[in-house]
Formats: sequence, structure tokens, C-alpha cells
Amino acid sequence: MLREMLKNFGSKNISVAANAKEAITFLEQGDKYDAVLCDYNLGQGKNGQQVFEEAKFRRLIGPATAWIIVTAEKTSDMVIGAAEYMPDDYIIKPINEAALRSRLEKVIAKKSELQDIERAIFAKNFNTALTLCDKAMGTGKANNEILRIKTNLLLDIGRYDDAKELFNKILSVRDVPWAKTGLAKAAFHLGEMETAQRLLKEVISENRTYMEAHDWLVKTYQQQGDLEEAQRILLRCTETSPNSMNRQKMLGEIAHKRGDLDVAEKAYRKTIKLGENSILNTPIAHLGLAKICTEKDNPNEALQLLKNVRKEFDDKAANLDAKVMEGVIYQKSGDHVNIRKTAEELAAILQEDPNLASTEVAIEAAEFLFKAGDKKSAESMLQTVVRNNHDNDTLIDQVKEIFNHAGMTADKAQNIIDTSRSEVVDINNKGVTLAKEGKLEEAIQWLRNAKAMLPNNKQILLNFTHAAILIMQKNGKNDNLVSETRECLKRVGILDPLEQRRIQYQSTLDTIPNR
Amino acid sequence: MDNQDAHPNTTAFFASAMHDMKNSLCVLINFLEGHHAEFDETLKKKVAPMLYEVKRVNNNLVQMLAIYKVGNEFYPFEMNENSVDEFVSEIVMQNQTLLDDLGVTLELDYDKDLTWYFDRELISGVVSHALNNAMRYTKDKLRLYVANEDDHLLIRVEDNGTGYSSGMIEAGNAVNKGVDFASGSTGLGLFFTAMVAKLHKHRGKTGSMVLENGGKFGGGCFVLRLP
Repeated sequence: MLREMLKNFGSKNISVAANAKEAITFLEQGDKYDAVLCDYNLGQGKNGQQVFEEAKFRRLIGPATAWIIVTAEKTSDMVIGAAEYMPDDYIIKPINEAALRSRLEKVIAKKSELQDIERAIFAKNFNTALTLCDKAMGTGKANNEILRIKTNLLLDIGRYDDAKELFNKILSVRDVPWAKTGLAKAAFHLGEMETAQRLLKEVISENRTYMEAHDWLVKTYQQQGDLEEAQRILLRCTETSPNSMNRQKMLGEIAHKRGDLDVAEKAYRKTIKLGENSILNTPIAHLGLAKICTEKDNPNEALQLLKNVRKEFDDKAANLDAKVMEGVIYQKSGDHVNIRKTAEELAAILQEDPNLASTEVAIEAAEFLFKAGDKKSAESMLQTVVRNNHDNDTLIDQVKEIFNHAGMTADKAQNIIDTSRSEVVDINNKGVTLAKEGKLEEAIQWLRNAKAMLPNNKQILLNFTHAAILIMQKNGKNDNLVSETRECLKRVGILDPLEQRRIQYQSTLDTIPNR
Repeated sequence: MDNQDAHPNTTAFFASAMHDMKNSLCVLINFLEGHHAEFDETLKKKVAPMLYEVKRVNNNLVQMLAIYKVGNEFYPFEMNENSVDEFVSEIVMQNQTLLDDLGVTLELDYDKDLTWYFDRELISGVVSHALNNAMRYTKDKLRLYVANEDDHLLIRVEDNGTGYSSGMIEAGNAVNKGVDFASGSTGLGLFFTAMVAKLHKHRGKTGSMVLENGGKFGGGCFVLRLP
């Protein structure tokens, strides 16, 4: 039917796919389509949103292709995706030829207005994209879209104060939920949790179905350590709108952390089910559920889940995590053949990239390796933990405990820890000294090498940031260095969301003049 | 969960059945409009009431589904800035066939440069319903008027029929105040419109709907105001 209409108003090269698989095949053939009209409801397998996400994620469509979802009714399940995975338009059936034509023309016109901006984003040239946004503003019909893109860019690259200013400007005209939520996001990143919560609650009280606001409210409580409240909000959301993979995953993680294993298990299972057809699937639920299965004495299902992680995800860190868990399960059941095999594989992975494991996984790996008899790998694993967390006394005590447990004398353990610690302290000190002496270029180069070697060491990342700010305050802004520094700060945020200096540096970075 | 298994969620079941029926109606409407060019003038006149009824049922299903979703707090309500020009053009395009075949002329009076914040799908549902309804009761003329009046978006659908009965006007006022004593399809349409109007809020002001008589043609007037 749609094909007839399209033909009638002169569209050429129309491909009609019978299902999601065929649609993906068409897109894979590399034809450049101006527009894709995709029904939301595609029967078994992927839905229209998931086909779109796959096409976008795998870059089967470029920034010039308009994606339009066709549906009999708009439902909340359809619009749960992240901002970057929002289709260009929705068409509610029935639509006649004239209306379809006019809608298509408008979407394609807007798309071409935004083409340069989206191309810059596609190529990750965020600063160029920002400049293009300012240039394009007010020249055409896509002002709203441009504003949204611009605010997203500012948040993405960490210019939170600028984002805040822009959101406030938008809000002075009209209380738009996306802008108020955006303002809350900026507040969140600047560590102002109470402000973020107040704004998000305002959005929700005006519009309960604005899911993004609920998601960010959860994040603020998570940040404050109030997991109970975070879980309560998520449970309420998943009751009315149970088909968001991301939300179920968040619920699983939070309930798991709280020790609410039944809720966590259910949420993880749902996440895995929802992820089956999604390109945005992550192994987090598999790993979490495997852990719960192990705790609940269900090793067979756990092993199956971990096997699936390897099969379904090309994710080195997740595979490492899975390996460690497998080892622990074999240790529990006393399967010596598999313990040895897993230990060997693990040692090989860690030797290749000792920074692959998060601190938590690294510690579990070390414990496993000690028990498996590979003292050398275990020690080197713990050395990496110490080097990456040289100023975290609680963690260092934990490491000491593990050494003691493995039968090492207290002196020897202290010796290993001190050596690793002083290596990092020396590296850091040299960087700081160079900076103090005004040798900023040298300091930056030194710390850049250090952070390549120890990418999980917060202090090195912060010192690099400090030196970068100093040199730019002196010589003016440098786009490459600004991006590198923002990356650094993002990394700090992941390692320690509560680190206050991150926010201070962030603000300072925003105020550096352009020269 | 166990509790839910014992008492199946009938509303959700009805909603998915409605969704299914709506799909069938889409096929019907597309068929009637798609083959419209092949009909001769007499056949067009004969088919017009059929298209009218099918669209009416479709509108009713749209309304019921929206009411169900808003009531259960999972309607994806989206207050976006919309171009009034684009909005009106699309509504006209979707209704042109029926207007022509019923022999009704639609006069448009709106500010082309105006933009306003509203949920496109919901307001489109409300205005389509009002237009569809007016087509049934008008003599031969309709007017769609959209303008910014006192910082509200004013949408008027006026006809040159005999006007609303006093009972209808009362029902319109009552449903706006939250009392509901109209029934059947009329009640559904009014309830839906009042609900949609109330969802549109801005700085303490709320949307509203009024039925009245008069307007440019002296017939029935449907009036929607959005803050």
C-alpha cells in the first residue's frame, strides 16, 4: 500500500522488505536510501525501533537517511530509546497519499538542513558540530531540532555550565520537559543532586509518562547512595512500562547491589529476554544473573550464562569477568581440571592487558589465581590494583588481607605494596614537579605516558587535567587538548563518581578563554 | 504477579484487541481512499457515508486507546513545538476526500507563521474528531480557525448547520468540569477532548473545550483553547 503511494508521487528505487531480516539485508547492500519507512510491529523478532537501532549502530544508514516509524498507535514502548536513537518521525496509520507525501517532504527537508551538523557528529567532530549549530540556528525550519542537538552536544562534551545557560534560556520561554530534564542532567554532572531532584520531580509531576526524567531521578539517588529509593522508582516505572531493556538492567544492578536477589534475578532475566533482539544488548545482565545463580547454588545455569557471554558479546572486559566467575564456580565444585585450564587462560588475558579488569574483578581474579596456585599472576594482578589505587587505604588493606590469606608473610606483602605504591608516587611527583617548575609541556607529556600505562589511576588523570588547564590558561585553548582532558575527566567520573575535583576542573575548563 | 495471573488484566486485553481492530480499519480506509480515483461521481457519493462511518469508528478507537493509556500513565505525552501551518495542512489532506464526496467546503483561517506547543497526535485526534463530527451536522460549509488569542492557541471548528442542542452544550460544559453525563459515542468524544485539553498545561494554566452556537456561519462551534 505504502509502495503504491510512494510510486504515485514519483519515488524511485523503492525496496520493499517483508521482515526485519530482509530490511537489514537491503541496508547492508549499501544502497543509500533517502528515507526508510518501517512499521513498528514486525511480528516475531525485532521491532521497527530495534531495526532502526541496529541500522544506526552498525552505520548501515548515514546521517542523511530519514527513518520514519509507521504504526497504528503511538505507545510508550516505542519512545523509550535514548535520544540518539530517536527516529526522525512517527506516522500514525491510516495515512493517505497526500499526507504521506507532505510528511516525507518535510522530514527530508529538515534532514537536509541538519545534514552538515549530523555529519560532523557522525565523524565525532563535536566542536565543528557546535559551530555549525550556531550557524544554522534561525535560518530554516529545524530550530527546535538544532537546539536539542546543541544541548546534547554540550552535555556530551562536558560543557555543563554552558548547557545550563542554554537550558535556562529555553525554559524562560516555556516549561519544556526535555529542557527541564536537560537542566537536571547538567546539575547532576555538576554534583548538584538536590537541584537535579527538584527539577526532575517537577517534570514528573507535570508529566508522569516522561520516562527519561524517572531514569535520571534514579541516577541521582544512586549517586547519593540511596539505593532503596532508586529501586522503588524503577519498580514503579517497570510496572507500567516493562519493555525497556535499559531500565530492567538498571533495576537488576541496583537490586543486586542491595542484596534483593529475587527482584534482581527477575529484572536480569527480563533484560536478557528484551536484549535478544537488540543490537544495544550488553552482557551486564548475563554476568549479574550468573553471579546470582552461583550464590543460589545453581552452577549449571551460571556456567551456561557465562558461555553465552563469550558467544554473544565481543567484549573483552566482560569475557574476563566471565572467566573469573567460571573459575570461582569450578573452585566451589572442586573441578581441578577446569580450575587449571581457566587459570591458564586468565593469566594469558591479564598478561596481555593488565588494565582490562575493573578493580573489583581484578581482586576476584587474584583470589582465584592464588587458590589455583598461580602465585605469580595473582601477585602481578594485585600490583596493578595497588598501582591504580595507590591512595585508597581501604583497598590497600584488602589487598594485604588477600596476600596474608594466600600465606604470604606480612613483611613481604608490605614490601610488594610499598614498591608498587612508590612507583606511582614517583611518577606523579615528577609530573607535579615539572609543572611547578613551569615546564608544562614536559609535565603533560610525562603524565600522558603515565596515564597510558595506568589508565585507571585517578590521581594521574587528575594531575594531567591540572597541568592541561595550566598550560591552556597560559597559552589559550587547544581543541585537541580540551578533548583529551574531557576524556580524562569522564574516566575519573567512571572510576569515582563522587570525586569533587572532577567538577571543579570541569568548570575551570569551561572558563578558559579561546586565546 | 501471582495475583495478576489469577485475575487477568482485561483492560490490557481489550486494548490489544482494539489495536488489532484499528489495523483492520486502516486497511479499509486505505482501500477506500486508495481506489477513490477509480470511482465515478455517483459511486463516490454512495461510498462517502461508508468512509465517514469507518473514520468515525477509527477515531473512536484512537480515543479509547488514548484514554486507556493516559489513565494507566503510559501514554507517551509529548509537548513539542508544532507549526500550525503543517498541522492544519495535514488535517486537511487527511479529510479532503471525505469533504469533497460529502459536498462540504472547508474554509481555512489560520496564522501560517504561528507555532505552538502541543502533543501532535492527541490534538490531531481531537480536531479530526471535531471536523468529522461537524461534517455530519453541517449543511455544506465548515470553517477551521486557528489563532493566538490571549496567549492561548484557539482552535475553532464551525459549521453552518442548525447548531448544538442545549443538552449537548450542557454536556460539553459538564465534561469540562469533570462531570460526565453524556453517553455513547458523543460522551466518548467529549471525554477524550476534555482529557486531552487538561493534559496541556503551561505555568498554572490548563487547556479547555467549549461547545457553543454562532461563529461565522451561525451553526455549531467546537472551541479548543490550549495554553
